Amino acid sequence: MSTQDLNNKIVESSEQGSLGKLALLATATAAALQSCKKDPEQVGVYELNDVALTTDSANKTRLKTNEQYVSILFTNLFQAGISSDIVFELNECFLSIGDQELAREVLISNLFNNPAVQLPTVENMMADLDGFIEETYKRFFVRLPSEGEKTWVRNFISNNPYMTPELVYFSFALSNEYMYY
Amino acid sequence: MIRREFLKKSTLAGAGAITAPYLLPSGRLFAASGNRSANHVVLVMFAGGVRHQEAVGMRYLDDSQVGEPYPGNIMYNMLTGAPPEMKIVYGTGEGGINPIPPILSQSLASQGTLFAEVEALSTGHFGGLNSIIQGSVPGGQGLKQRPVNPTIFEYLRRHGGYGATDTWFVGNSIGGSLPLLNYSANPDYGIKYGGNFFAPLITFGEQGFEYLGNAKVYHPENELAPMYQLKAFLDNNFANNGLLLDSLGNTEEEKQSIKMFMDLMYEKIQAGTITLPPVTDNADTATVGFACELLSWFKPAFSVVNLSSVDACHSDFTGYLKSLHRADHAVGFLWDYIQQIPEMAGNTTLICVPECGRNDNPNAILDDNNWLAYDHSDFNSTRIFSLCVGAGFEPGLVRGSEGNPIGRASDAMMTAADILGVDTSLMSPYLYGGTTSFLDQL
Repeated sequence: MSTQDLNNKIVESSEQGSLGKLALLATATAAALQSCKKDPEQVGVYELNDVALTTDSANKTRLKTNEQYVSILFTNLFQAGISSDIVFELNECFLSIGDQELAREVLISNLFNNPAVQLPTVENMMADLDGFIEETYKRFFVRLPSEGEKTWVRNFISNNPYMTPELVYFSFALSNEYMYY
Repeated sequence: MIRREFLKKSTLAGAGAITAPYLLPSGRLFAASGNRSANHVVLVMFAGGVRHQEAVGMRYLDDSQVGEPYPGNIMYNMLTGAPPEMKIVYGTGEGGINPIPPILSQSLASQGTLFAEVEALSTGHFGGLNSIIQGSVPGGQGLKQRPVNPTIFEYLRRHGGYGATDTWFVGNSIGGSLPLLNYSANPDYGIKYGGNFFAPLITFGEQGFEYLGNAKVYHPENELAPMYQLKAFLDNNFANNGLLLDSLGNTEEEKQSIKMFMDLMYEKIQAGTITLPPVTDNADTATVGFACELLSWFKPAFSVVNLSSVDACHSDFTGYLKSLHRADHAVGFLWDYIQQIPEMAGNTTLICVPECGRNDNPNAILDDNNWLAYDHSDFNSTRIFSLCVGAGFEPGLVRGSEGNPIGRASDAMMTAADILGVDTSLMSPYLYGGTTSFLDQL
């Protein structure tokens, strides 16, 4: 075999190898594309029930009456019950003011002038901020905060030097969620 | 080329801005008519069922009690006419023998226009009040239920662009579903366009003073601002559940102003310096005193004052006469006081209209003077009047007469909207047929 013949064979063999590689690549691509297709029949193969994800406050759909609001507010702030006479008189006060949010605000700011309100000190709040936030959510919203809520409130209190437990309670008592049960 | 395109686009934008309706922050879609004839309107709902005979009729006992032929005008601040000469029981002192001296040197009728007989749309209180506030008496409107149709407060706020503290309702009590009248249940209007409301005898009464009179003062920037910020965060989280709690829409500045007004009232009560009519011995006169304070503080564009003590007439005719005399005294004082508020003097229109009249015939209940009492349910109970004083109303003019009615109760709110520059055509779908501004009936 001459040198020329040998060279020809090498070239031929090299061309055949390239074609083989191309064929292999095409086969692999086709297989990959085929394997990535979603099979609509496969949905639900995990045999789990659908679960609607909601926040803990989602089941609060009923608006409190004035009587319910003041009764619960008194209990939350004073950690003690309220007499029916006071509930009746406070309901009349609420009826006498058109802007109910303003009426609640004025009432709460009056109550905070009462030394019997059960409030932690600022030092106690800052010493265990996460604990304070959890306790406040439980006290006013009857639920635990989500991690997102806890983080936001923690940062907010930490970054606002004038925030006191009183102002935090004020916000919660005035919030829309507190108006529902 | 660029300049030409700019000119073309800016011209189109300008034309669009001029012709297209626009939405103001108040939610108002269309501009008001802009033709205000006065900057302030005070509407007095007078005053719990007034029998036409003792009011415009000026017949005192002559038309109500057999064997008592004593006519006379016991509303001489409002109406022009001589008072009774005999059987005086409506004044002060033992037996009410001392008539209350007039406050106004000229009666309101002589200063403005009297619609001598007007048609009431209801013979009941709540129906009558509704007809004045919402301009209609829709079927299905029950007691303890907010007005079915929009109220004048909502028209003014939505279509006139007035703020919450521009519109006030001063109630003389919290009874009779009165606190429900400051906004309607209509889904297109409702609370966010409602008027502010006070029942001052409660808000600033004994219980109000005890529970609301000692509000803690917070620093607006250091304390209140972060408090509201945290509240906003909590509300936003809750709103993700689709639950919103609409409010009256007082801005923070308006809220602060209301709180300051409340504090001032508690201070004035303690100091005994509340502005009160010279004779203040019933709920109506005291309510008008607080209404004067409110007008002085807020200078609202529109305010409603409700009086109702004359409803004593169901069982006490003498008490009715006393209350009617005092309601007149209170209205005289109110008008006189308005003239002392610089922003409102000469720029306010007063409209007085009863919500209903009283029966032609008495019931069987006798009072201490052996006089029979009157309820309200018959045709005579639909006979009322209206007194309008201020810009646009001709002094001394009398329109209509007994048996020849002109106007109806619902015209009062239409008149207020007309005076304050609201396009009244927007209101017509909800109004009682034929409702027309009194200004168009002169």
